Amino acid sequence: MSEKTRFFILLGLFIASLLLLWLLNSAAGQSVLVHAP
Amino acid sequence: MNLARINTVLFAAIAAVCLYIVVAPIAPAITFWAATHTGNSLQKLSDSLRLPATDLRLSPHDNRLIIPAMLLNTPINEGADLASLRTGPWRRPNGSTPAHGGNTVIAAHRFTYTNPRGAFYYLNKLQPGDLIGVFWEGKRYMYKVASTQTVPPTDIAIEAPTPDARLTLYTCTPLWLPKDRLVVVAELESAS
Repeated sequence: MSEKTRFFILLGLFIASLLLLWLLNSAAGQSVLVHAP
Repeated sequence: MNLARINTVLFAAIAAVCLYIVVAPIAPAITFWAATHTGNSLQKLSDSLRLPATDLRLSPHDNRLIIPAMLLNTPINEGADLASLRTGPWRRPNGSTPAHGGNTVIAAHRFTYTNPRGAFYYLNKLQPGDLIGVFWEGKRYMYKVASTQTVPPTDIAIEAPTPDARLTLYTCTPLWLPKDRLVVVAELESAS
């Protein structure tokens, strides 16, 4: 595998990991407040 | 910088993000264990609540919530919208204040990745009889936990006004999920 191919794979994985972190943080940070049914 | 070096840096960054995703949720439990088994954080917080009324000039000057059983000593946020929740406990503006009696309601996150040790991460550690101190506008209000319960997120009765002076704290439960609400109700013991 060339360095260039490896670069694009790693870049994709890096972006995916940041996206996962953002999604998990959004899920955990949902409003804690009570609300009317 | 050649491409091989950039790839090494990218790999390290991916590993760091993944490690953070896995470790952040359990890190507060580890730090709590360390704080309760080494050092005297718990004793210091308890002592700060037991200052004689004549020494209250030594107490915090901002509005502050102190709960020794949770190793919590944090400012209380005031504000009109949800942004107030991002940095710590938020006194709900539709509720009362310690100075006015009635039901003072404070909500806070339990866990977020941007603030892993959310203010109420350890709210489940509170038991009936535990002390809670609120420093509010220069006065100290001491509350004693009366009850803890889990309610659905639609139970707006927990924020309803009450004839008695009480403090209601609530957050999400179970840990990491906003499925239900963990509610702690404490009754006013003294004001000085």
